[in-house]
Amino acid sequence: MQRIEAIRHMAQVVTQDDLLTTSIGQTWDDWWNYKPADNTFFTGILGSVTTTALGLAVSLPHRRIIAIESDGSVLLNTGVMCTLGKERPPNLTVVVMDNGIYENIGGPPTHTSANTDLAKMAEGAGCLNCATAREADEFDRQFRRMLDDGQMGYLVAKIEPWAKHKWEWKDRKATDGVEDKYRFLRYVEKLEGVVIHPGAVQN
Amino acid sequence: MEPSTQTPRYAQMFVEGLKEANVTVVAALPESLLAGVYRLCAKDNALRYIPVTNEAELPGICAGAYLAGKKGIMVMENSGLRQACEPIARFAYCHAMPLVMAMSFRGEWGERNWWGHNHAQTMEPILNALRIPFRFIARLEDIKPAIRKAYYHADSSSWPVAMVFTGECVEVPAYAKD
Repeated sequence: MQRIEAIRHMAQVVTQDDLLTTSIGQTWDDWWNYKPADNTFFTGILGSVTTTALGLAVSLPHRRIIAIESDGSVLLNTGVMCTLGKERPPNLTVVVMDNGIYENIGGPPTHTSANTDLAKMAEGAGCLNCATAREADEFDRQFRRMLDDGQMGYLVAKIEPWAKHKWEWKDRKATDGVEDKYRFLRYVEKLEGVVIHPGAVQN
Repeated sequence: MEPSTQTPRYAQMFVEGLKEANVTVVAALPESLLAGVYRLCAKDNALRYIPVTNEAELPGICAGAYLAGKKGIMVMENSGLRQACEPIARFAYCHAMPLVMAMSFRGEWGERNWWGHNHAQTMEPILNALRIPFRFIARLEDIKPAIRKAYYHADSSSWPVAMVFTGECVEVPAYAKD
């Protein structure tokens, strides 16, 4: 399965009412082109994609929260699995795009290409609904189930290294991290009917 | 030795201060100097208390709470600043993310643990290097105003701030009760 296939399957199920975080890397450009709205916080911090989603999930328990992770990001902060395993937020689904390499920097292998099994790690950490999908239809089935089963989910998508699909410059994610924050924040303000970042107090 | 179950005054005021500032998410790595705070938060149903395995988890959890329109706080020992330094720096410099952190001041004047001094020696240089405004909170009456103002400061500057608790605002180590 290529990552773009998994992303396309996700785009069929994710709605404008869901909120997402994504890992840095080529996943950004893929999801940028398929996201249904500004409902994704493009997290520019490896190791903090799932934690940010956890903060969203416990704060908005009525809303589906999805973290689109990468193997490199998960491996950088594996203790998060244990925190997830304790908290088990029922509205959170973590999807790990696991290609077994650090593709953006030329392809040195991550430990998942050796002996590390992220789904088994998550299960051992206490997470619920941990699964690995190797084919696109299996990924689709598992993702749909995890989104709607009322329990947390941890889905590892074993994707092929070296993405075949390349985005042209005009189609690549064009925003920086500050714009990403404000786009997401203003989206949540409308979605939830709240004020997160007001203007200055006059005096 | 069994930990104390009594609620110290500083911890009570800390948690009251959180509630008055509308904080709902407390993410923490428990340690000894703010022990009463962790105990109180863990049993308070009005707070979502999330103990973590590593301080590097804290910034993301609090950023997520902020982006959801809620108020979160990171609570840790000052040594945790070093563990959390990378995500704090990234959230600040990449995303202009307000974060409020509270840390105990291990390595205060009179520290009798050899391993505790490096926490104090490195804390201020790191906070200054990150350009994070911080205040020492040493008196009980300063706890609530400090917490309230920390959110004003972080939110209006879109930047992290730190409160460093010491003096009357932390547990008194047994060796210091003289």
